[in-house]
Amino acid sequence: MTPLIELDGVTKTLKGQQEPRTILSGVDLTVQAGQSVAVLGRSGSGKSTLLSIVGLFDRPDGGAYRIDGQDISRIPERKAAALRSAEFGFVFQRFFLLKHLSAAQNVAMALVNGQGWLPRRQRRAKVMAALEQVGIAHLAKHRPAKLSGGEQQRVAVARALVRQPRILLADEPTGALDTETGNLVIDVLHEATRQGRALILVTHDWDHARKMGRVLRLEDGTLHDVDEYEHAPAEVAA
Amino acid sequence: MIRLSGRLRSALIIGGQGIRARKTRTLLSIVSLFLGVLAVVVVQAGAEAANQAALADIELQVGKDGTRMMYVSPEKAGAMAAALETLKGRSDAVGVIGTSATIGEPGVNPVNPGGAPFDRQAGGPDYYYGGGPGAEMICDERGCRPVDKAQQAEQTPNGQAIELRLSALTGDVLPFRPYRMKSGRWLDFTKVPSLSPGIVVNLEAAKGFARYQVPAEMRIYGVSTNATPRIIGVVDDGVPMPTAYTRVDELLNWVPASSLDMMGGVETLLAPDAYAVEQTLRARLVGLGVPAEQLRADPVNARKAIEEQLRLVRLVFLGIAGLVLLIGVAGILNVGLATVGERVEEFALRRAVGTPRTLLAGIVLAETLLTGLFTAAAAIGVASLALKVVGSILSGRTPIPLDMEFPWQAGVAGIVAGLVAGLLGGLIPAIRAARIPIATVMRA
Ligand SMILES: Nc1ncnc2c1ncn2[C@@H]1O[C@H](COP(=O)(O)OP(=O)(O)O)[C@@H](O)[C@H]1O
Ligand SMILES: [Mg+2]
Repeated sequence: MTPLIELDGVTKTLKGQQEPRTILSGVDLTVQAGQSVAVLGRSGSGKSTLLSIVGLFDRPDGGAYRIDGQDISRIPERKAAALRSAEFGFVFQRFFLLKHLSAAQNVAMALVNGQGWLPRRQRRAKVMAALEQVGIAHLAKHRPAKLSGGEQQRVAVARALVRQPRILLADEPTGALDTETGNLVIDVLHEATRQGRALILVTHDWDHARKMGRVLRLEDGTLHDVDEYEHAPAEVAA
Repeated sequence: MIRLSGRLRSALIIGGQGIRARKTRTLLSIVSLFLGVLAVVVVQAGAEAANQAALADIELQVGKDGTRMMYVSPEKAGAMAAALETLKGRSDAVGVIGTSATIGEPGVNPVNPGGAPFDRQAGGPDYYYGGGPGAEMICDERGCRPVDKAQQAEQTPNGQAIELRLSALTGDVLPFRPYRMKSGRWLDFTKVPSLSPGIVVNLEAAKGFARYQVPAEMRIYGVSTNATPRIIGVVDDGVPMPTAYTRVDELLNWVPASSLDMMGGVETLLAPDAYAVEQTLRARLVGLGVPAEQLRADPVNARKAIEEQLRLVRLVFLGIAGLVLLIGVAGILNVGLATVGERVEEFALRRAVGTPRTLLAGIVLAETLLTGLFTAAAAIGVASLALKVVGSILSGRTPIPLDMEFPWQAGVAGIVAGLVAGLLGGLIPAIRAARIPIATVMRA
């Protein structure tokens, strides 16, 4: 079966302030539809860099990146934008909500992106369904400033889900939340994999990581499998 | 088609949300651009007004554009009579004979020697008549000034007489020079010529008649018989000197044809397509021995001439307006860059959810273009309102007709200026918006 996501020897060097630094030196990763993967790793180990390549924010310097078996590591920006819209949903540590828009409008912005067009009524139905899915449909009209951190992050998750993408990417989505709210958000994300979505979750929290089907650690620019015994709490806290 | 309209609709929603979230900024941009666009509009409107005023002046005093002018000199005996005979009863060609006449008491100095305008004596500003080539100047320890003809007249036997220019017409000149009737009626060329000549005077002459009590007796330079004219109407002919118009045939009822050659030749106005009469006239005159090269028919091409004259002035003022506009562009650019800087996260986020960068750049550009259009609308509104106000205050106080419409050229110039400024001010922010790297902004 062709994997949904397939990274094959992906490398990335970032031009630092002084000299170029190799962040990824040969990442191999395969994720099937419906699978969830946690990525652990020290701060600065390149987890966000990896997600930005998977999410087509950035391109790898070397190696192959395939979706459905198609190499997309060199596609033009126009096609990358279309893929981001159709295939990916993103959640970040910071919520990135637009403060001049209501919760519903913030979710709708993923639909109002110049990629296809839905009439207002259908848009509204999708937005409300997504807000329902994360349990805050009753807050649709509120501006971000009126929402708690957990509620804001759930708006962001609804925004990631509203196009029903096949791949969810979450970069430390609970980093700014207390434990209880964090758990809620992780549960919502995990729930989405039951509908056949793939999830890559970058986290520092072992409790969150172990809810995923597979746990990996990014170290020295490559990914390694992790099991519970190998896990040392001190490392995760870094 | 569907993709395009989806993009367009998305752009409208995103742009609308952006403008609504930043009303003050939009207003500030409009304010910073307003003076520049207004300057462009005003310069264009002013240039257009000056053009129209100059054109109206030339239309009245020379002829409408396209009218062909041919001068028949009185040098060759019989040439004028031949010209008058050829032009008689025609409507596509009119001959005008100009001479000087005095109406009033015989044997006295006229109140306006030389046919000068009457208000020059009052010592008021001389802005219209000016010190033309013919104006006599007097110079003493107080400096130079035009000869005060009123004083001169007071020193000689006081006479109740007015000197004016007499234009005798072979036919209706109005199709060539659109004089405006002020009262009474214009000369009627369809009637049998009357024995006592009817004259139509211009505004300046009418002023003279109203001011001085003059007997209705008219003497014409070089003619011994006097006539008693009837004033049948008053026209505005744009001429500052007192002038009267009459029918040539009525004039000839009391002026012997032999004295015609004492007058100033026949100025002939030909309609643009009056070639037949032109041929006949030329053939007859050449037959009388007038050299053919003297009989050129030169078309009036005032519009082009005026535009050429005013082009440099217009360019200079447009240059100044352009500088003011440039300052406005700097303002809008400043606001635009600040806005993009503030919206870095929004744009990165929009790109992350799949909005194409070209769409984002387009939205930024569209917002400033829209600002430019709003500004143009405001500037055009203010300028046309100002034109109305100034026109109603000044109407009747200047010889230039100010009841003009707001010239469309100025409106177009304003819209172009607004759009260009929007483009200049929005381009760099738009490119910046398109270049925002998602990865850097969204990294946690
Ligand atoms: N835009 C950039 N240019 C150069 N180096 C960068 C840039 N962004 C991050 N880095 C560096 O790349 C490394 C990996 O960063 P990142 O992927 O954000 O790590 P993580 O998400 O695991 O904390 C860090 O050392 C960071 O300093
Ligand atoms: Mg990170």
